Amino acid sequence: MPLAIPRNLDLPLTLKGLREMARINRIDTTNMFMAAGNGHFGSCFSCAEIVTALYFAIMRVDPANPDWPDRDRFIMGKGHAAPTLYSALIRRGFMPEEWIGEYERAVGVKLMTHPSRRYQPGVDASQGALGHGLSVAVGMALAGRMDAKDYHVYALMGDGEINEGSVWEAAASAAKFRLGNLIGIVDRNRLTVDGDAEEVMPMEPLKAKWEAFGWETLEIDGHDIPELLQTLAVPRGAQGARPRMVIAHTVKGKGVSFMENVRSWHADVMDTDQYDRAMAELREG
Amino acid sequence: MDEHVVEMRLVEFIHERRASFPTKVIRQQFGETMLALVAERPNLVALTADLMHPTGMLDFAKAYPERFFNVGIAEQNMTGIAAGLASCGKLPVVCGYAAFTTLRAVEQAKLDCGYNGVKVILVGQSAGLSYGVGGPTHQALEDVAIMRAIPNMIVVTPSDALEVDAALRACIANPAATPIYLRLGRGPEPVFNTAALDFEIGKASTLHMGDDLCIVANGSMAFEALLAADALAQEGIAAQVLNMHTVKPFDKAAILDAAARVRGMITVEEHSLIGGLGSAVLEALEDGHSIPVRRIGVKDIYPPIGPTSELRAALGLSAQNILRVALDLMKRS
Repeated sequence: MPLAIPRNLDLPLTLKGLREMARINRIDTTNMFMAAGNGHFGSCFSCAEIVTALYFAIMRVDPANPDWPDRDRFIMGKGHAAPTLYSALIRRGFMPEEWIGEYERAVGVKLMTHPSRRYQPGVDASQGALGHGLSVAVGMALAGRMDAKDYHVYALMGDGEINEGSVWEAAASAAKFRLGNLIGIVDRNRLTVDGDAEEVMPMEPLKAKWEAFGWETLEIDGHDIPELLQTLAVPRGAQGARPRMVIAHTVKGKGVSFMENVRSWHADVMDTDQYDRAMAELREG
Repeated sequence: MDEHVVEMRLVEFIHERRASFPTKVIRQQFGETMLALVAERPNLVALTADLMHPTGMLDFAKAYPERFFNVGIAEQNMTGIAAGLASCGKLPVVCGYAAFTTLRAVEQAKLDCGYNGVKVILVGQSAGLSYGVGGPTHQALEDVAIMRAIPNMIVVTPSDALEVDAALRACIANPAATPIYLRLGRGPEPVFNTAALDFEIGKASTLHMGDDLCIVANGSMAFEALLAADALAQEGIAAQVLNMHTVKPFDKAAILDAAARVRGMITVEEHSLIGGLGSAVLEALEDGHSIPVRRIGVKDIYPPIGPTSELRAALGLSAQNILRVALDLMKRS
């Protein structure tokens, strides 16, 4: 069954359009993983709404000019969720749709497990090793303020990623430099490679931690589009002096019933039967 | 004349000659050059991890507070921030100690700077044994090997204060979107270059001409090599001294040119013998060159603690030792 992919997007998308785009995002991601034979399903599906809301309703970007100096920036700190970003960039027109079927298929293809600024137009920073993204985002936000530009910088992190000490170095510095143009998001799906995130390394009380580091911290349902719009769409120029952290409570593997909250689907191999079942659920929405 | 007597006489010559050169503190020169450049480069910014005073950056920070960022003792964050600034058009200079700039933030140097393809100048002061009393925590003897192994990374190791000035200016002016590791000393070092020195990244300079042997050195060891060459000249041995101030990209042509002329080659570096200048020279000679090469550097050890000049001498990083190795090499080849 062919997908009804909107060709000429009327941006920002409506709530209905955003929900539909998040569904398309999961289908694209599944097709990329099927091309490769495996993938980080759980990590991608938990942030599909977050990335969709940013790229189709919030961020100021120009597919015809990916390096536009005044664009909003997005850093995929949890780099292994790159396919979610790829889908958004493809559907926004930064990259061709054909790249989906080539994902990880051969030496020299453009799309791989982790985002790369070298090969992928629209990617603002190569990521993959965890705990790097927030520092790079701080640098971008600092530069924007020095140049009196009104762009925003979004840094998405995994809730396992924030075990990294460098994240907290960056957190402290964003508060010191009063970066109101920086918005961090923690994808709080509560599962890491090895299991329960809180068991692997307790990070609670998470909201209090970010607040103690000087961030205006909000907690939302990370699959709820209106809540995402409300917390991530910071008015330009009207932002305060504090960086904002949005802790997005999500479900790992969201959208495919047999993947939801199952540790092994952090990254796994998918057979054709599972593919058919997943696609059937995603097509139904 | 007895060999031993000759050597004694030459060592005495080296002592006297060494004392005839003025010195200048390396970090002071770094700070002066940064301050001189900031006015003419509107996108130049500097970062430090709580080492503003010891890296010579106080005057810069006072004069341009809006272009100086102190991130606290957090080198990984500093390097990542620098990469973010660079991707938005700034020219960041990370001011730290070599031991921390390289090892503590090596992944940020590789990925956020190198892989991302942005120009960040990573300054590693107090490199080698120049903070000798600091012990192995603050000595940096593997930094060149590590940074040299990162694709796209340029590695520059200037010698005296004049060359620090010239190298920093060349790094700032370099147009490539790649990170640069600028390896610097710390305290006073003899000033032996001339003010009009011609510095080009990737191109070795010849400090002394000669066709009997070639001494390849950089950093503080370039001066020691020059002293040794001067002493050898007293005995009628003509040593070329190549100042290989850029370890990457490596001036292979200069090495091959020397290899075709001389009877032996000596490399001298204030760095581990694993992966630094000496290794780079051997790599350059790997295709069928049978010229004898002796490498002087720090063996695979944690060096003892000691004042820099004494520690260098104790580990063989001295003109006297270069002289001994050269005399032995000339006797055998």
